[in-house]
Amino acid sequence: MRHYLSDWKAIIYNLAFFLNGLLIFLLVFESRFDVPGWMFPLGRLHPVVLHFPLVALLIYGCWTIIVEKQGSARWNADLAGILLLLGTFTATIAAFSGFILSKEDSEVSSTLLWHKYLGVGISIGSVAWYGLARYLSPWKIPAKSVSFLFIVLLLAAGHLGGNLTHGEDFLIIPSNFSEETAGKVSFEEAQVYENLIRPVLQQKCYSCHNADKSKGGLQMHTAELLLKGGKSGMLWDTTQKDLGLLLGRVHLPLDDKKHMPPRGKVQLTAEEVVLIAEWVRAGSDFKQKVRTLSPQNPVYSYAKNTLGGHRVGDIYTFEAADAEEVRALNTNYRVVKPYAPESPALFVNFYNKTAFKSSEISDLLPLKGQIVSMDFSKMPVKDEDLKIISQFTELRKLLLNFTEIQGKTLPELKKLPNLKELALSGTAVQISQIKALESFPSLTKVYLWSTALTTEEQQTLVNKKIRFETGFRSDTVIIALNPPVIENEQQIVMGSTGVKLNHQIPGTEIRYTLDGTWPDSSKALIYSQPIPITKNTTIKARAFKAGWYGSAPVDKMFIKATYHIDSVRLILPPDTKYKGKGPASLTDGIKSSTETGSGNWLGYRDTNFESLFFFDKPAKVGSLTISTLCNVGGSVFPPAHVEVWGGSDEHSLQLLKTIKPLLPGKMIEGSRELLIDANFDPQLLSCLKIIARPLSKLPSWHPAKGKKAWVFLDEVIVN
Amino acid sequence: MEKPIFDFGMNANRRHFLSKLSLGLGSAALGSLLIPDIFKSGAENSVNDIVSGLPHFAPKAKRVIYLFQNGAPSQFELFDHKPLLNKMFGEDLPESVRGGQRLTGMTSNQTRFPLAGSVFNFARHGNSGTWISELLPHTARIVDDICIIKSMKTDAINHDPALTFFQTGAQVGNRPSMGSWLSYGLGSENQNLPGFCVLLSRGKGNGQGVYSKLWTNGFLDSVHQGVQFSSGENPVLYLGDPEGMDRSERRRMLDKLAALNQSTFNEFGDPEVTAKIQQYEMAYRMQTAVPEITDMSKEPESIVKMYGPECLVPGTYAANCLLARKLSEQGVRFVQLYHQGWDGHAGLPKEISGQCKDVDQASAALITDLKQRGLLDETLVIWGGEFGRTNFCQGTFTKDNYGRDHHPRAFTIWMAGGGIKPGLVYGETDDFGYNIVKDPVHVHDLHATILNQLGLDHEKLVFKHQGRRYRLTDVAGSLVKGIIA
Repeated sequence: MRHYLSDWKAIIYNLAFFLNGLLIFLLVFESRFDVPGWMFPLGRLHPVVLHFPLVALLIYGCWTIIVEKQGSARWNADLAGILLLLGTFTATIAAFSGFILSKEDSEVSSTLLWHKYLGVGISIGSVAWYGLARYLSPWKIPAKSVSFLFIVLLLAAGHLGGNLTHGEDFLIIPSNFSEETAGKVSFEEAQVYENLIRPVLQQKCYSCHNADKSKGGLQMHTAELLLKGGKSGMLWDTTQKDLGLLLGRVHLPLDDKKHMPPRGKVQLTAEEVVLIAEWVRAGSDFKQKVRTLSPQNPVYSYAKNTLGGHRVGDIYTFEAADAEEVRALNTNYRVVKPYAPESPALFVNFYNKTAFKSSEISDLLPLKGQIVSMDFSKMPVKDEDLKIISQFTELRKLLLNFTEIQGKTLPELKKLPNLKELALSGTAVQISQIKALESFPSLTKVYLWSTALTTEEQQTLVNKKIRFETGFRSDTVIIALNPPVIENEQQIVMGSTGVKLNHQIPGTEIRYTLDGTWPDSSKALIYSQPIPITKNTTIKARAFKAGWYGSAPVDKMFIKATYHIDSVRLILPPDTKYKGKGPASLTDGIKSSTETGSGNWLGYRDTNFESLFFFDKPAKVGSLTISTLCNVGGSVFPPAHVEVWGGSDEHSLQLLKTIKPLLPGKMIEGSRELLIDANFDPQLLSCLKIIARPLSKLPSWHPAKGKKAWVFLDEVIVN
Repeated sequence: MEKPIFDFGMNANRRHFLSKLSLGLGSAALGSLLIPDIFKSGAENSVNDIVSGLPHFAPKAKRVIYLFQNGAPSQFELFDHKPLLNKMFGEDLPESVRGGQRLTGMTSNQTRFPLAGSVFNFARHGNSGTWISELLPHTARIVDDICIIKSMKTDAINHDPALTFFQTGAQVGNRPSMGSWLSYGLGSENQNLPGFCVLLSRGKGNGQGVYSKLWTNGFLDSVHQGVQFSSGENPVLYLGDPEGMDRSERRRMLDKLAALNQSTFNEFGDPEVTAKIQQYEMAYRMQTAVPEITDMSKEPESIVKMYGPECLVPGTYAANCLLARKLSEQGVRFVQLYHQGWDGHAGLPKEISGQCKDVDQASAALITDLKQRGLLDETLVIWGGEFGRTNFCQGTFTKDNYGRDHHPRAFTIWMAGGGIKPGLVYGETDDFGYNIVKDPVHVHDLHATILNQLGLDHEKLVFKHQGRRYRLTDVAGSLVKGIIA
């Protein structure tokens, strides 16, 4: 080890090696590396250091190239070695400092990326170069080609670096090119020629039409010269259809020799052509300001887009607050955030009224120079709180919707010189207090929806400067209510269960009829308690309320059932496609919708429906209702044949009734339910058996004639 | 002689190699000192790290409400007034207009493509004189506040891929949804509510399913997943206290649990543990925040009249619009509504009338409501489906009854607030309404523009996953500058 330490070359070489290792490591984990503050000065050294390796390595490279043979007097191995070592070491330092410098700027252009990787490549490569130099005899081809490669790399990296600091095309653009471009001027101040037209001409025309190089005798870099024109004449003529020479040339086909800018040069964009044309058409005023134009003018929208345009909102000139301080003032119920990362402007929102206290506002006073917007919607803000709020002098927007303010202290807000928008919707403010707002310095918008202001009072609010947003008024609008809701899900009612009606809007009156007639607002029964069902009934109900039209009716049929079937056993299973909810479907009291796929229907086609029903205690049964479905198009027919058997147990059953339901004789659209009643002499029964046979052949008029029909059942009701 | 010298050189190389290796390791060690958390796992994509650098520039909108009309409403019955279709009613769509557009399996076997004009009348509305159908009387009222884009186009022709494309920027599933991207990019504004909420409703028209993959966080952290609010007793599942447990007991339980977790954290230093504590705390705060928002009983009657009486019936579109406004007002970054039932393949005139009744009043009310509270300028509202419908009839065709198939080439949506130009009609279709002739807006462009309004550069909002950097706009998308105010 000792000879390394005693040898200064080895120390420098090892140091270079070490730094390159560090550089590779940092590059690999670049996304997670934040440069510590003390390292930044190291980065700034980059422009100083970078010239050393450039010179040293270039000299070394050229030197090896010109050595013609072994033992040449031109070659001094010692000196060359030192030169290469110095080049290597400084290249490493330059790459390292460049890397640090690149971390200062978040904008990453492709030029920067190339420059960075080339720089790192040279740094690492030069270490290798030095390490391998003794195997590369400078009079042999490999050494020369390596040198050539390095020279190319160095020039490329240097050129890209130059582009970064001096701008693209620094080498080729003439020297009188000035750097004043659009974007630095505010929209308010911008002039059409100076800030919009001139930058376009500068970029796309000046290179051939300037003081040094006036092609076609035309120079364009001052207003006078533009007006003077060139050899072919004046640049514009508003009496011409094509607005004269300049735009005429622009519009020529690209292949045309006279097309401008000439083929191969950067062309004007469509927007730029429109911009120039509009300006020329309007009389080519060199002093016109953009803001005097109408917003519909294309020049106006062009300016909006180029002068920072839609991406820049208000421009804030105040200092940003300390980020730590801002963070500390955030709670679960109070959000304080900057509009954008670089913006000094803060907005504040409050949530959860139970957590709100006046001190929540005064806590923010240290940020009064930065807060531009506050949203207090629904917070219990009181009149006296406005005194605190009036200290936030940078406020632009203040939302006080549905707060508890009475409006007495509204004049306090006049102290806010920048306040543009004030939202007072849902507060108890008075018309006189609103009128006083007209003297506020910057106010342009006031929101007054859902306040106590009458329509007449609202109409008196006409102001050139301020727009009063009064919003939607409900008292002039009459619309229909929605129908009430029949809450009972079970249509088959047993015992003393009543039918419950409901409506979501408080204060509505529900009226209903039991005889199927139209419920009106005067004679129909008023709902106050659940309606008892004593027989099969259709309830029809509507809702009424003052200020509304009565609702559409809602109706539902209720079927009275006397006995509850205690258990069911399906002798033959339903088709696997329509299994419903199993045997329970038949006794759950819920009528299925008429959709075949509702999941409540038991469907049979290849077998009969055959099922046993049991009562725990013998019941005196005299009638039976089977609820079925009829959907002709879907081949769902009433059963062709129904048998009802009864007895004291399943082994001693007697045939009680046979029914042949009426079958449809033609195509009927849609689905409907069909109740099949079976009446017989009342008798005590513990067990019932029902057999329903599907139609075996669909009639000849049916599209699926000859095939089997379906039978669908969902409920059996016993009385 | 040469060989020993060479061998000596090789020896020196090996020694060199080892010593250089130690130098390399040393440099890595120094590097790791400069990046303190380099060898710690996890938490690198946590919300806070992301949020520090975002938004990219000053946003116009802070929040989004997306009124998704699931199933694809017909532009011809609502916005895109095409008298030529009425004039040529029943004539075939010229092949030159169709231009080889692929068809779905539902119409590809049709021998004729009879043009069907809208049976509904159109009139001009607002200062902008915009054509709006008689089916949308309330939307007609707010036409000066909205920007109608008649030149939307998409890549997909069937519901599932088209819907997934609209929501996630890719036709295949499992990419993060737009709301998740925004939650990832901008974080939640209100610490007591999720940043991305989803509300579902369905109309009586032919419906198409919605699935949770539409509000998935994909490969983003699961905190960015959309939270579905249901219409029942528990709007947010598992939020209520278990039976027999009151709030103070809950609080005590959480405090004890937090203490236990804290001691675990002190011992192991795993940031996942503190994340867990914070999630429990947020859920606890949501227990008060959510009922406050979902309680509609305190809404004034003017609100009920504005949104329509249905807005108090949970689970309806109107109720969801009202809820969306309340959530948005409380700082929820992205509220996504889906209203099903627009898939009018058959019997379209009848179905679309019903659908419009469901959504027209409430959609317009939402805009009016935001406006009268001074919130419209910071809330971006979007209304539209996943594609459009054909100008020719599918299936049964009579004078007043027809159906329309899917059409991805040109359709209409509208946007409002959030720095979008109001009272504007953007883009144009040909006289057949079949092709776009001016200012086409692709779904990627729409995504780019939405992100832009929220202060995000769609090319910079990226997430690296499985070795690739992903964006909502994939590798496409450009700003629709013409609609930006």
